[in-house]
Amino acid sequence: MAPSGTKTVILKIKRQENPKSSPRWEEFDLTWKPGMNVISAMMEIAANPVTRDGKTTTPITYDSNCLEEVCGSCAMLINGRARMACSALVDKLEQPIRLEPFSKFPVVRDLAVDRSVIFENLKAVKAWVPIDGTYDLGAGLRISPTEQEEAYPVSRCISCCCCMEACPQFNESTGFVGAATIAQVRLFNQHPTGKALKHERLQALMGDGGIQECGFAQNCVEVCPKDIPLTKAIADTGREVMKQAIKDFFRG
Amino acid sequence: MASVASPVERGVPPIRAGKGHSFLLRRLHSLSGIIPVGAFLLEHFISNAFATNGPNAYGAQVKFLTGLPFVLVLEIVGIYIPLLYHALYGFYIWFRGESNVSDYPWAGNFMYAAQRWTGAIAFVYIIWHTYTMRFTGTHLLTHPDAAFDKVQTELQHWWAGVFYLVGIIAASWHFSYGIYLFCAKWGITVSERSRKWSGRACTVLALTLILVGWLTMAAFFRPQWRDHWKNPPATEQHTMNDNAK
Repeated sequence: MAPSGTKTVILKIKRQENPKSSPRWEEFDLTWKPGMNVISAMMEIAANPVTRDGKTTTPITYDSNCLEEVCGSCAMLINGRARMACSALVDKLEQPIRLEPFSKFPVVRDLAVDRSVIFENLKAVKAWVPIDGTYDLGAGLRISPTEQEEAYPVSRCISCCCCMEACPQFNESTGFVGAATIAQVRLFNQHPTGKALKHERLQALMGDGGIQECGFAQNCVEVCPKDIPLTKAIADTGREVMKQAIKDFFRG
Repeated sequence: MASVASPVERGVPPIRAGKGHSFLLRRLHSLSGIIPVGAFLLEHFISNAFATNGPNAYGAQVKFLTGLPFVLVLEIVGIYIPLLYHALYGFYIWFRGESNVSDYPWAGNFMYAAQRWTGAIAFVYIIWHTYTMRFTGTHLLTHPDAAFDKVQTELQHWWAGVFYLVGIIAASWHFSYGIYLFCAKWGITVSERSRKWSGRACTVLALTLILVGWLTMAAFFRPQWRDHWKNPPATEQHTMNDNAK
């Protein structure tokens, strides 16, 4: 509890003991500090885990690592919207600040969720450059600066899953793959060595839950903390998938 | 505090890479909205606009359309089947989506929701419109001259007029934004710039269609033709029942 008379920050956090238990809300008020962000606020709670009504509780569980919007771990719902907690400045948020775990991913505990679906999806579309072999493949092809500039924004994806959480089409009934994975297909298909698996990636995206499930609501590109041109990547990949489908049908 | 909604246990399954037929079905849905359903919508707006040239011009256009060779086959294969597929698969898409405009109140997301609502409104309108115009009252396939009067008679009910106004908005909106979505999803408009311009072009198209639709409706209320329905042409009134005999 913050001492009276000081500027305070109120947090309302949705907590859950384990994957099976029911969630509950807990409120905290903290002494305001300059430059505070959601993660630093939760660090304050961990230092003194007492709720607003004076009950001692446990520190909040959440994933985090880099604290500078690069690792993608601390994505959560902040005031109802998917974003990174480390770059969510308290001064720019409406109070009480509402923190919830992502709603479309299984909760591990409190704000930590199981985001393994994105890694399953990346594996399913072979989002890598194939360089393993029985002998040294030598140096790769040179990539022109123009191509590098095209690829760089897409390569910044941090697998935070904000684009998936905010997508109306990403849910249990569609099994939609989500914007991040489609953008990675675009990235690796452009790579001179990665191209070798282009048709396999495009064919993977034609499966159930593939690129066709996109409803173009464009929330992905709005919430992406790394400003990845996701709608452009989806449109571009949509074209390539269509070309591949036609080729597969007519040429076999 | 009170407990809130039950936690997610399973989560969203990963993509079924390369498996299933949803790609084909969804792309067919997308294509059918442009050809033939969208193409028919354009034809329908243009043909009805002949009403602005008066009852005779309108009758002549209906006569031309109903006189097309294999007209029943064209109707069933070119309109009913694709329209039903587009509508029913559209509802399937709608029910599987989870609209979240209140959490993410942005233009694209609003249009996502609006595309579903306008589709549903247009569908209800089309069912009613087809029932009253094609399957009840004077049979226009055999009596194309009576077309102007039939529409005019229907528009005598104020609620029918309102339903037409709304139906025109819904169909125009759904079709125009559908073209925008088609271009974006099939990779025709990939760049931000091209999508901005396709958005503008589709807005102009929607407004044009709505205007043409409303002007067409207004033609049925012009002073010189307003009472046309009370003095039908020399031929007697032919109803569906006559044809059944």
